[in-house]
Amino acid sequence: MQMRPEIQIASVIKAMKDVVIPAIDPANKLAVEQSQLIIGLLSLLSIQLPLWYRFDRDELARLLDCAKALQGVPAGDAATKPALERLRHSGAAAATVLEQCRVEPDSLTASVRELREAIGALVKAVAGTKDLAAQLGIERIVLAMSKDQLIRDRSFVKMQGWEPDPAAVPDIATLLPPV
Amino acid sequence: MQAQNKDRPSAEWIASMRGQFQTEREIDRVLTRKLERRAGPGFAPLALSTLVTGLQAMLRSRLDRPFNIKEARWLCGGASKLQMAFTLEWQRPGVGFERTPMVLRMEPAESIVETSRLREFQLLRAFEGVIPVPTTFWCDVDAEFLPYPALIYGFSAGVTKPATATSGVTGLGTQLTPAVRAQLAPQFVQHLVAIHRHDFTKSELTAFDMPAPGTTQCAEWGINWWDRVWEEDCDEEVPLMRVASAWLRRNIPVLDRVSVVHSDYRLGNFLFTEHDMRISAWLDWELGRLGDRHQDLAWTTSRAFGSVDVNGDFLVCGLMPEKEFLEAYQRASGLSVNPRTMHWYKAYNSYCIGVLILATSYRIARNGKTHQDVLVTWLIGIGGMIIDELRSLIEQGN
Repeated sequence: MQMRPEIQIASVIKAMKDVVIPAIDPANKLAVEQSQLIIGLLSLLSIQLPLWYRFDRDELARLLDCAKALQGVPAGDAATKPALERLRHSGAAAATVLEQCRVEPDSLTASVRELREAIGALVKAVAGTKDLAAQLGIERIVLAMSKDQLIRDRSFVKMQGWEPDPAAVPDIATLLPPV
Repeated sequence: MQAQNKDRPSAEWIASMRGQFQTEREIDRVLTRKLERRAGPGFAPLALSTLVTGLQAMLRSRLDRPFNIKEARWLCGGASKLQMAFTLEWQRPGVGFERTPMVLRMEPAESIVETSRLREFQLLRAFEGVIPVPTTFWCDVDAEFLPYPALIYGFSAGVTKPATATSGVTGLGTQLTPAVRAQLAPQFVQHLVAIHRHDFTKSELTAFDMPAPGTTQCAEWGINWWDRVWEEDCDEEVPLMRVASAWLRRNIPVLDRVSVVHSDYRLGNFLFTEHDMRISAWLDWELGRLGDRHQDLAWTTSRAFGSVDVNGDFLVCGLMPEKEFLEAYQRASGLSVNPRTMHWYKAYNSYCIGVLILATSYRIARNGKTHQDVLVTWLIGIGGMIIDELRSLIEQGN
């Protein structure tokens, strides 16, 4: 999927700076102020977006350390015990999640790109040969994969309104299995 | 091997692109120019006064009598070029003093479709008096006077869609009423016939190479063109695009007759006057070439440019069912429609649009090269639908 958040945010910021903000009536103070806030928030988002996952994982690790330390504090009061028990349960669940979150989202995207490249290179290589059977065999597999992927690509941008028959394209949430 | 940085292409890599993909000479020139300038600055907002100053310098070199440029203003519409409307007060040769409404059409730093202003200028001129087109005046082919290459033609009155119609950006998805369809559809067919039957040998088309009929040269030049743009512009590989290129080459058609091909003949690219429902101008000739009429027929019937009527039936450019459109075309032109060639060009056109949407749109928006990156980014969203149609065409063609 080429239409990623980075390029969407960058193009919106450029449109705001180059076209929209210069056209705002300087006397409309609210519009002037809010247009600058839009630029500010979008710029902040463009910095934060690639780091959100790492930021959350880092915080979870810190909270987990904190939870372990808290469980070591002697506190036997009847009112405290249920809260400590809950903290123990939550900490155990969090430790499992933290252990599973060992791959950066960028690694996932990079793997997608690498496999796209490798498959594309194979198609290109076989197209330059005289082995028609291999060409057709490889094409059949790529066409089948593309069919499944493209319905997801189309669904992901359905709200843009490109589809002549939107009802024929399932909603994206129904097409993506839970992780 | 280190991957080429496409945002800063080396001279060796540019030479390798030129060597790998043989195209028409003018296509090679504009694509090479694009790459040579890619590492340069993005598009910065231009003041109208900058364009007016450039235009004045250009007109001083072309006119020997005083003139005035009045009422300069931006025009919107389309995704590829900047357009400024103005009125020229001048002594028009053979006419005398005139206040002529005109349009300056100029490229941004890089365009969603990199084309030649000279080719566009020559095609418009070739069709003056044949079908409704704007009158051409001047062309700044190499940006000698203006910030980027540009052409100047007469302003045409009209709209691209009825005032009450709804549509998406660039006129896609426009819904027309049956009454409007009934008046526009016959002209739509008639003008396409006139383009394809036009004797272009009497026109000055020096920026075009003519493919040899009875060979596959026309189609080969076309595939090479878009394969080259894919290599030059794409960021994320799309295996289906490689399959498509291979399929197109394996099934390449022979050209039976050379015609002028508009290459973007669709609703949204002509103006019509609402009071009489007459088409007043055909625009956007930038992709035009000497080629195969099936390219236009296939383009016009693309799902992307049509709409669905109240019964759920698909209408070519929102005007008429495909069967009816092709029958009317054949009746009026006396030219045959070869279903296999038509099918090939449908796949070819989808491939071409896929290249522009998924590769070029991304590259130019990422590098901030246009006056409307936000629109170009928005358009990337249609890529999935376009190449899913391409996939379906390849499956049907096997």
